[in-house]
Amino acid sequence: MKVAVLIKQVPDTTARISIAGGSVDEGSISKWTISPYDEYALEAALKLQSESGAKVVAITLGPQRSSKSLIDAAAVGADELMHVLYEGDAGSLSLQSALAAAVRKSEADIVLAGKQAADTNSGSTAPGVAQMLGLPCVGLVSEVKAVDGNFVATRSTSSGMERVSVSGSCVFAFDKGDEELRRPNVRGIMMAKKKPIETLSPADLGISMESGGVNLESVGYPPEKPAGQTFQGAASASEVVTKLREEANVI
Amino acid sequence: MGYEALDFYDVDSLLTDEERMIRDVVRDWVDESVIPKIENACREGVFLDEWRQEIGGMGILGAPLKGYGCPGLSYTAYGVICRELERGDSGIRSFASVQGSLAMYPIWDFGSEEQKEKYLPKMATGELIGCFGLTEPDYGSNPGDMVTKAEEDGDHYILNGAKMWITNGTIADLAIVWAKLDGVIRGFIVEKGDKGFSAPEMKGKHSLKASVTSELVFQDCRIPKDRILPGVKGLRGPFSCLNNARYGISWGAVGAAQSCFDSARSYAMSRIQFDHPIAAYQLVQNKLAWMLREITKAQLLAYHLGVKKDSGEWVPEHISLAKMNNVDIALEIARVARDIHGANGILDEYPVMRHMANLESVKTYEGTHDIHNLILGRHITGIQAFTREA
Repeated sequence: MKVAVLIKQVPDTTARISIAGGSVDEGSISKWTISPYDEYALEAALKLQSESGAKVVAITLGPQRSSKSLIDAAAVGADELMHVLYEGDAGSLSLQSALAAAVRKSEADIVLAGKQAADTNSGSTAPGVAQMLGLPCVGLVSEVKAVDGNFVATRSTSSGMERVSVSGSCVFAFDKGDEELRRPNVRGIMMAKKKPIETLSPADLGISMESGGVNLESVGYPPEKPAGQTFQGAASASEVVTKLREEANVI
Repeated sequence: MGYEALDFYDVDSLLTDEERMIRDVVRDWVDESVIPKIENACREGVFLDEWRQEIGGMGILGAPLKGYGCPGLSYTAYGVICRELERGDSGIRSFASVQGSLAMYPIWDFGSEEQKEKYLPKMATGELIGCFGLTEPDYGSNPGDMVTKAEEDGDHYILNGAKMWITNGTIADLAIVWAKLDGVIRGFIVEKGDKGFSAPEMKGKHSLKASVTSELVFQDCRIPKDRILPGVKGLRGPFSCLNNARYGISWGAVGAAQSCFDSARSYAMSRIQFDHPIAAYQLVQNKLAWMLREITKAQLLAYHLGVKKDSGEWVPEHISLAKMNNVDIALEIARVARDIHGANGILDEYPVMRHMANLESVKTYEGTHDIHNLILGRHITGIQAFTREA
């Protein structure tokens, strides 16, 4: 069994983001990391590796710097690394086509990915790749297990939990899982530097990045929060309750 | 806002990719497993066993040693590991220093093949803990006059004497003990449970409170003859261990100083007095600028010493300079950081007073500040000034 994990390199969630000319100034980002939901997917893949003997192939699409996320994946145990090297921006359909082609090339049986990336939050990659591959997609998954030739996924929400089974190939989009991505050890780090990365261009995969889809037009800062309001005295209680109920929607 | 390591000259850009990855792993571990637990551990005076397991799990113990299950990293990587651990607490770094440089290293360099195979793989994973017995109650800076002695008795040695200020002593599974056999200093491996050996913990420390410090007591302690370290005689044995540990300390002190700077900077930015953050006042800026200056110099010293350790082009005096300087400035930075924090600086809500108290020990152990000056004085003049005797 082979499990593909789609990994996106994003600015660290604690990094300061600055915006110039409607796009994020990448030069100002001090630390890049694997998108957190992708980390849950990677941990689940590594569990399939240890429990069911699966081979794990980590796939990323992005500029040269994103190969670091593959090395990080190798340090915790990914067996194969595939980098679809693409420096520019592209529409969602182009990205999904290229990732789907990479998955096909890897001959993976199932695909695990985060439900959304921490930078764009669009949530379209996993279902988009599933569609390109003609596979079913299970979203908001917290765990995937291989059971008697099927895959059983757990979907947890605040209101309950459900278990679904899939009889063949599938794309699973991960929500927060039960376990954080394991910490690499020194041995893993030293092995990772020896692991080859298969670097391919979209053209190598037969994909034109002109397919379009949803394009990111511009980004901007959120509007500034209005100043807080202060209330004093028992007489204001009913007004505060009304505001909490109707404006803040917290009671 | 999380910890931001001051690196004004971007010295870490000189590290290899692997060294930076190892740095990040240890730094994240310190954030997750040390910072939230260290103050409580200090209050209770304990070294958490989970720290032993997790440090072992990261595979960083005995970092620069090769073979026998050891990591085989560069000395620079070992330094980076010490720096990140000591950013958390000097006691955590002490655990790793003693295990790697003082207990694993002598077995690795001076031990028999059987000793290496028996102890090193399990010490690298933290399964076995080691300690190092050189200092005695009456012999600190002058270990050559130690009184602990070993005598032959058939196929055993019998040890008598006492060691003091032994990090990891009570929790150790084995001790590297330096004792005189026929007047010559030799290394012996004493195991927990050996008859006549005990390691009572020393209590009441105001420093390194999350680290175990012990006495080692030998009363007709019988150990088999195959526990002597065959490869070394004289003070060269313990001193080669200390060279490595002191090298690690020169990096570790930078981590403690970076932690103090980080806390002082963020406190100064948020503490308002006379309508402005205290960081807006020249006296405070002067202190912060001095810290930045000294930390940057200390980083460069540690890094370049790492390069020299890795190339083999070093002398012990190089290590004396870096250990002495970096601990000295780290302690002074901790004191100034405490000053910037005002009264809040004495609370364990902030790390500065803990680092300050720790660094008082670090300044004294592994060659006191003054002894390192004397080592440099001898290097400069050719005249030893340790003793009045010629």
